[in-house]
Amino acid sequence: MATQSPVTAVLDKTQASQPPRLFLATLHEWVTTVDHKKIGLMYIGYALFFLVVAGFEAILMRIQLAIPNNTFVSPQAFNRLFTMHGTTMVFFVGMPILFGFGNYLVPLMIGARDMAFPRLNAFSFWVSAFGGSLLYFSYLGGDGLYGAGSAPDVGWFAYAPLTARVFSPGHSTDYWTLAVLLSGIGNIGTALNIVATTICMRCPGMKLNRMPLLVWLYLVTSMMVFVAVSPLTAAQIMLLLDRYLGSHFFDTQAGGSAVLWMHFFWIFGHPEVYILVLPAFAFANEIIPVFSRKAIFGYPAMVAASVGIGFISLSVWAHHMFTVGMGAGANTFFTLSTMVIAVPTGIKIFNWLATLWGGKIRYTVAMMFSVGFLFQFLIAGLTGIMLSASPFDWQLGNSYFVVAHFHYVLVGAILFMIFAAFYYWYPKMTGHMLDEKLGKWHFWLFLIGFHLTFDFMHIPGILGMPRRIYTYEADRGWMLLNMITSSGAFFQAIATLLFVYNMVWSYFKGPIAGADPWDAWTLEWSTVSPPPAYNFATIPTVESRRPLWDLKHPEDPDTRYE
Amino acid sequence: MQPETGHNETGVIQLPSPTAWPMVLALGLSLILAGMVTHIVIAILGLLLTVAGSVGWFLQVLPHEAHEGSLVHTEEVEVVSSRTLIERLPTDEMHRKILPITTFQISTGIKGGIAGGIAMTVPAGIFSVLRYHSFWYATNLLAAGGFVSWASASNAFLGQFHLQGAIAALIIHGLTSLLVGLLYGAMLPMFPRYPILTAGLVAPLLFTGILYSALGIVSPILNQRIDWFYFVLSQIAFGLVCGWVVNLHEKVRTPQFRALPFAIRAGLHTDLGTPKPEPSVREDESR
Ligand code: HEM
Ligand SMILES: [Cu+2]
Repeated sequence: MATQSPVTAVLDKTQASQPPRLFLATLHEWVTTVDHKKIGLMYIGYALFFLVVAGFEAILMRIQLAIPNNTFVSPQAFNRLFTMHGTTMVFFVGMPILFGFGNYLVPLMIGARDMAFPRLNAFSFWVSAFGGSLLYFSYLGGDGLYGAGSAPDVGWFAYAPLTARVFSPGHSTDYWTLAVLLSGIGNIGTALNIVATTICMRCPGMKLNRMPLLVWLYLVTSMMVFVAVSPLTAAQIMLLLDRYLGSHFFDTQAGGSAVLWMHFFWIFGHPEVYILVLPAFAFANEIIPVFSRKAIFGYPAMVAASVGIGFISLSVWAHHMFTVGMGAGANTFFTLSTMVIAVPTGIKIFNWLATLWGGKIRYTVAMMFSVGFLFQFLIAGLTGIMLSASPFDWQLGNSYFVVAHFHYVLVGAILFMIFAAFYYWYPKMTGHMLDEKLGKWHFWLFLIGFHLTFDFMHIPGILGMPRRIYTYEADRGWMLLNMITSSGAFFQAIATLLFVYNMVWSYFKGPIAGADPWDAWTLEWSTVSPPPAYNFATIPTVESRRPLWDLKHPEDPDTRYE
Repeated sequence: MQPETGHNETGVIQLPSPTAWPMVLALGLSLILAGMVTHIVIAILGLLLTVAGSVGWFLQVLPHEAHEGSLVHTEEVEVVSSRTLIERLPTDEMHRKILPITTFQISTGIKGGIAGGIAMTVPAGIFSVLRYHSFWYATNLLAAGGFVSWASASNAFLGQFHLQGAIAALIIHGLTSLLVGLLYGAMLPMFPRYPILTAGLVAPLLFTGILYSALGIVSPILNQRIDWFYFVLSQIAFGLVCGWVVNLHEKVRTPQFRALPFAIRAGLHTDLGTPKPEPSVREDESR
């Protein structure tokens, strides 16, 4: 084994033990904090809470659909469940958890003390968090909790004219609009902060072409948030005008247009799915190289592909509208532009494979989730390409096939990478390692559950099962498939609870992590775990894309190769 | 903005001081909106909090941003790597391989794509002239990818010259060739060997796959009118010419080359630092 002479360097080391503090003092500290790490953790905490809530809603839906003619929940409650599930997962789990990691990691990775605007950062977090609370407040009103309150029931896409006063009396749709509006304000604030931070706060030597790929991807994502969330916010305000002040933007009876809403929504909605997946790519870009013991293959191609995806994804939104009847010209355009996305995406997949190729792979739990991600993302992309052909989409649009497609990405790729990110960065965030053995249980249970649910979900879709139905007849041939799908959901739920348990247990009992448990190469691993308020006692200077490699291997630094 | 960057002599670093005002402002705004769905009183409370939050926040940053010192503790730590190498075999400059060692540039693939795209038109044109006595037939058929109604137009119509058709065909064909070239160029570094084979096989496969899936599904009528024998012939023309063009280009070395001593890079004959034949043991860290 290695008997290299160890090198010494000034790594930050702050005393970990601090006297126990009073609950109120701690609470005060978190409420008033402007530290990007604490804000990041709060984002992650509240997203995890909503993950459990929205997951619970999914389980209720799957119980309802497990057998034909089920009366477990009422049709009305079912509509509310899928609306709340979708809205929560996108706006109050996906976005905040990704922004949480971004908040935590971006300043550390570029060697900065904090975000560019620390107070704006706190504000953005709180606005989003209050938005989530407002959304769930809706469960308390109207016809009581058992009829599921007056929670919104118009789908996460809130298609007009369902949202018009006539079809949606009471306040349920307003809860949806206002909650999403609030979260949008927060997201734009955080995106602005991340852009300003990466542009202005990089440490000496951290040129753009030395930035960790994670930071690059967060930069692209944040830019996309500006472009995508603004039209959504505009549409929300128009919807409020329709509902409160009697304007007719989306009211078809009075000359408004329901398709206008669809354009507004999907101009946001399609980029949104890339806003969610790019951070997942970002995690893969950091985790796969470290556990393959190779630098990422094709860094410039990766940057170019990410920026390319950012641009192309702005020109494909109407592939969600093939079934509206836009005409042949528009269908052809959106079919082809959607297919073009396969090019940069393919480049990314090949580069990850080339990074694994010939590497010395360590199958930690983080790496296992990443490998699952690669495989599942590929399949999800393939069903996406299938759907992008408009004639095919006329058959399968609004069927369970679509549900299977997007859950393949949202769960199979994004959630898998979020889990990977937890296993990878938890030691940095808490100073303790997550238990790998429990982690393996989590991985395998979740993998089995995922494939049971979503592989089988494609088939009832092809057999004609529409989405958003609350029950079905027994003679359709979907029975067994739905049963399997539902049972998979339970595996996923159990695995997720195991994961939550692991996080709590490891926080108290997990082995001490030390500054750099994975022998990694980016700056966040050069400071103690958890990092002190000021991140780095001395602001680092970097000379290559892998500053810690250079520190550890002075005889063979990366600077010679770049 | 960041107050200061350097390490303070006194062992204290200034950070923005904690404040609850951003949270109060956020709560205020949320309550104003919540007032729309609950009661006006909530909105009024929200308005009060919004004003208080704004004033409080402004006072935090004006006229001077509030800061708080944070104590610094540092200690020297050992940097260790879990690199598992026994003794490095006779150290040679190539010990850290960056795979592959030589490769093509991405632009090489694009050039090959363009050349192949031109070559493809030859079999397509021959087919068009032999079967329909007009070069424009194939052109217009391709253009039908853009003008959907053309797919079911008469043979006579497709045999005539249409400026629109020629332009549309040029754009469609040009873009597709460029795209395949780009994709191919991005993949070349992963398969740097045998470009003739890769191009002769992989590029036609890619091209056929993309066109077949696109055409076959976007326009099934169009699909029926295409003569797949000639179609495959033109794919092969694409592949062979693409491969040939790629072969004309020099391979470039990947970055480990830059770590070599200047003398070697310059091609001088000297025994200083001559790279040894590659050791057959497994490299511990490749890039
Ligand atoms: C990268 C991450 C992706 C995510 C998160 C994602 C997510 C989604 C979501 C949420 C929907 C359904 C929207 C709804 O109706 O509620 C959807 C539909 C669709 N996706 Fe994806 N998708 C991704 C990638 C792709 C790719 C790569 C393609 C094609 C190349 C694609 C093509 C489509 C198409 C054509 C539809 C419309 C299907 C229909 O509504 O009939 N998607 N996707
Ligand atoms: Cu989309």
